[in-house]
Amino acid sequence: MGISLMYYLLVSGGLFALGLAGVLIRRNMLLLLLAVELMLNGANVALIGFSRHWDVTDGQIFALVVMVVAAAEVVIGLGLIVAVYRQRIVLDVDELDQLKG
Amino acid sequence: MIGSLAWVVLLLPLAGALVLGFSGSAEPPKALTRVAGVGTIALSFAATLVIFFTLLGRDADDRALTTTAWRWAELGPLRIDLALLLDPLSVLMMLVITGVGMLIVAYSTEYMNHDRDYRRFFAEMDFFIFAMLLLVMAANFVFLIIGWALVGLASYLLIGYYYDRPSAVAAAKKAFVINVLGDVGLVLAAFVMAVKLDTLDYAGVFGLAPEKLGHGGLIPELIAVLLFVGAAAKSAQVPLHTWLPDAMEGPTPVSALIHAATMVTAGVYLVVRCNVLYQLAPHASEMVAIVGAVTLFIAATIATVQEDIKRVLAWSTVSQIGYMIMAAGLGLYTGAMFHFLTHAFFKALLFLVAGVVIHALVGEQGIDRMGGLKKYLPVAWATTLVGCLAISGVPPFAGFFSKDEILARAWDAGDLGKVLSIVGLVGAVLTAFYMFRMFFRVFHGPEPEGGYAHAPHPSGPAMTLPVIVLAVLSTVGGLIQVPTVNHWLDSWLDVSLMADPALEASHATEWRTMTMSVIAAAAGIGLAWFIFAADGGRRRVQMAGAMPALRRFLLDQWRFDPVIDDAVVAPGRDLGDAAYRGFEPYGSGGLVRGGVGVATAAARLVRATQNGLVRMSAFGLVVGLIVVAAAMILGR
Repeated sequence: MGISLMYYLLVSGGLFALGLAGVLIRRNMLLLLLAVELMLNGANVALIGFSRHWDVTDGQIFALVVMVVAAAEVVIGLGLIVAVYRQRIVLDVDELDQLKG
Repeated sequence: MIGSLAWVVLLLPLAGALVLGFSGSAEPPKALTRVAGVGTIALSFAATLVIFFTLLGRDADDRALTTTAWRWAELGPLRIDLALLLDPLSVLMMLVITGVGMLIVAYSTEYMNHDRDYRRFFAEMDFFIFAMLLLVMAANFVFLIIGWALVGLASYLLIGYYYDRPSAVAAAKKAFVINVLGDVGLVLAAFVMAVKLDTLDYAGVFGLAPEKLGHGGLIPELIAVLLFVGAAAKSAQVPLHTWLPDAMEGPTPVSALIHAATMVTAGVYLVVRCNVLYQLAPHASEMVAIVGAVTLFIAATIATVQEDIKRVLAWSTVSQIGYMIMAAGLGLYTGAMFHFLTHAFFKALLFLVAGVVIHALVGEQGIDRMGGLKKYLPVAWATTLVGCLAISGVPPFAGFFSKDEILARAWDAGDLGKVLSIVGLVGAVLTAFYMFRMFFRVFHGPEPEGGYAHAPHPSGPAMTLPVIVLAVLSTVGGLIQVPTVNHWLDSWLDVSLMADPALEASHATEWRTMTMSVIAAAAGIGLAWFIFAADGGRRRVQMAGAMPALRRFLLDQWRFDPVIDDAVVAPGRDLGDAAYRGFEPYGSGGLVRGGVGVATAAARLVRATQNGLVRMSAFGLVVGLIVVAAAMILGR
């Protein structure tokens, strides 16, 4: 049966927690984007793991869809970052607080 | 066939109004405006003529038909159709509205030629004719009320035609408010009928009313009174008459069409149309007759002191409609419609000639700055003379027969009728007096001091022809119904008057009244001649100071305006002010402001979380996720 589901989930949870910590701690926008990618792929690992465990391909298909969406998201995210960079130079997210109520 | 023609009659003026009203922002060529404005009315009149002659060729019992477009609404047992009724009464009204309307609109092509907003004028006139046609052609009370209200709107627009003149705007507002008061009465009457009879179709209401409502009970009296509130407001009856003289702020053709020939007679039409209901309500009918008589007397006295040519005619209109309302209240429905018909001819004529005079004097309306115009405007002189003779009731002009019919039949219609007949006779003296006062002062007598700045110029054919046509009609129009000879109108209207008491005057009364009204007219004309013309107007100057108190009272128009202001307008305004100061800040305003306060306080609480930091938002997401996950796990 190969590697047990447990390990998949441990790796997945680790990646996800790493990404989450990055999102919450880092202030550089580029790194923020990377952290989000990490979270997405953590989730992907979990999906693949379940797919193998139950021996159905749904999870793999779902993981592929997530990758496509992630790719699109990166395109937009990078585009935004470049736009912000051109406007303000600073890429510190804490400086971007115009939505303060 | 004539059913679909009825829709053509109704919708052509609307098409004219829409085309003119929505044809872009630039003023189109005047020739196009004329074609669209006058052409639609002329075609509508032609179609009405076809309908009229078709009905005339049928048997008397076969002359009423209803044409339904579709069911408009179904409310419980109440069914309301978009339907038109063609019967002798509505066709008579249609003939006058489109026929006289066509003449007046044609006249306007020249009268308004140098005025502003040529196209707007014709769009609004066409719209008015559409609304008026809807009013008279509707086959149920719902569409009557819709037409009624649209007519009020058209009147408002046309009185306020010169919208940058404050007096015109005030007059338009006054007319609209009083008209809406009447609309409310009409709507309430419709409510009562809908509740009691479960129908608003004329056929249904008039068919069911006699057995379901009974004779002389509270409900029929209530309906009749409420209907009359609407009629009195539209037809300028005391005490709702004060808007009509002010309505002369509109252009003269408007006064001729709306405030003389058609719209103001809508109240007469309503009472005559609802003859079944009024026959069930004897007290309300008496009230209608008395209001009419009071109105005709008050308005006639006021007309004797007016110095503005259009206001003389306006008060004269109020007075003449008083005759019609009085006749309708006494059950003389044919008499009311007869006087409506002849009045439409001679009053439209008089207004249009007044327009010719005003036009000739470049906008001058005061009769003290007129005089000796006979030699400048011979056609206007002759046609005015015809109009004045007709309205004064001199045989064989139209007004003689219609007024005589009302007075003679009223005399034989009970005690109240006798009293009102005498009031009418006094009114006839006053009518002859004020009309010929105007006539002599405008066309005879000395020219105003310093003469005329520009020589008065006669009008072109577009204005002269309608005037001549109306003068001919004012001369021969009375011959459709001559006592003891010819009862064409009686038999024509017979089908529509389901509850006509068919009052007839005896021959003796007939002859006595004729003699009396000729004497009355002669007395009025003679007095006017004595004061204003006999020695070149010098006697008028001598008598100008006589009876100052009475004169001031009449010039104040019996003080109706200040009294209504004090009794109704001021309390209403005070109530509004008091509510604004006392209730608004704490009551309704407090409610609103309290709600706002609560929302603001709540917003201040949650505001701290919105610090604009992306990481805070992400943290919020994580916390939320944990809470949801915990709830799912613990809740299992």
